[in-house]
Amino acid sequence: MAFQKPNQNNAGAPQAAGDENYIKVSLVNQSVFIRKKKSCPLRTIPLAEINYKNLRLLNKFLSERGKILPSRITNVEVKKQRALANAIKKARHLALISQIKKDLTTN
Amino acid sequence: MPRYETVFIARQDLTVEDLDALTAKLSKIITDEKGKIVSKEYWGLRSLAYKVKKNSRGHYVLLNIDAKYAAVAELNRVMGFNEDIIRSATYTVEEHTGESPLFVSTTAKDFKPGKVSVKKEPSKIDLVLDQVQFDV
Repeated sequence: MAFQKPNQNNAGAPQAAGDENYIKVSLVNQSVFIRKKKSCPLRTIPLAEINYKNLRLLNKFLSERGKILPSRITNVEVKKQRALANAIKKARHLALISQIKKDLTTN
Repeated sequence: MPRYETVFIARQDLTVEDLDALTAKLSKIITDEKGKIVSKEYWGLRSLAYKVKKNSRGHYVLLNIDAKYAAVAELNRVMGFNEDIIRSATYTVEEHTGESPLFVSTTAKDFKPGKVSVKKEPSKIDLVLDQVQFDV
């Protein structure tokens, strides 16, 4: 399914050693791997660029069905996620992007 | 004066001359009320993401407006009962931006369908977006 929970049991797992998403923390008699906080993918893009005309940007943040991806998954910061959601709704009203895609080929 | 941008979708079977006449007619509503049309953009005959009033394609026109609310309200009222316009929207903006990514030409008459569009260099945003990917 599309909504799998991210695997959170990885902290301290030995296979995380080479992964750049993890940071090594040395304790007294053991070392632990902690998941790094991901930064916002839109951090270099100014807020004014997130508008309903920038369809390429908006389509990046839509699921296959045309739903808005939650910031829990995309790590977009709060202000930009709000701008993104408003822009997507405006683009939907103007029939630039579809409200919902129904004819998905089922797995 | 406050700044607005208005987008309207015109019926697909309008001719280029009709469309430009329609745009001029709507612009006149703003200029009559001492407003200003900062710029016009024609986005071409685009296919709609879903059918709107039984149309599957439509001409998109964007007007950047600098006018009082009364002028924009009158524009919205006229657009509401014009049968050539199938959808319209007006948004307030802080500042008018330059050419939008959907820009094709300033008026419908300038647009030549056969002309091969010059491939633009990828903007800074495109380069950032290329790296964005989510495993959903």
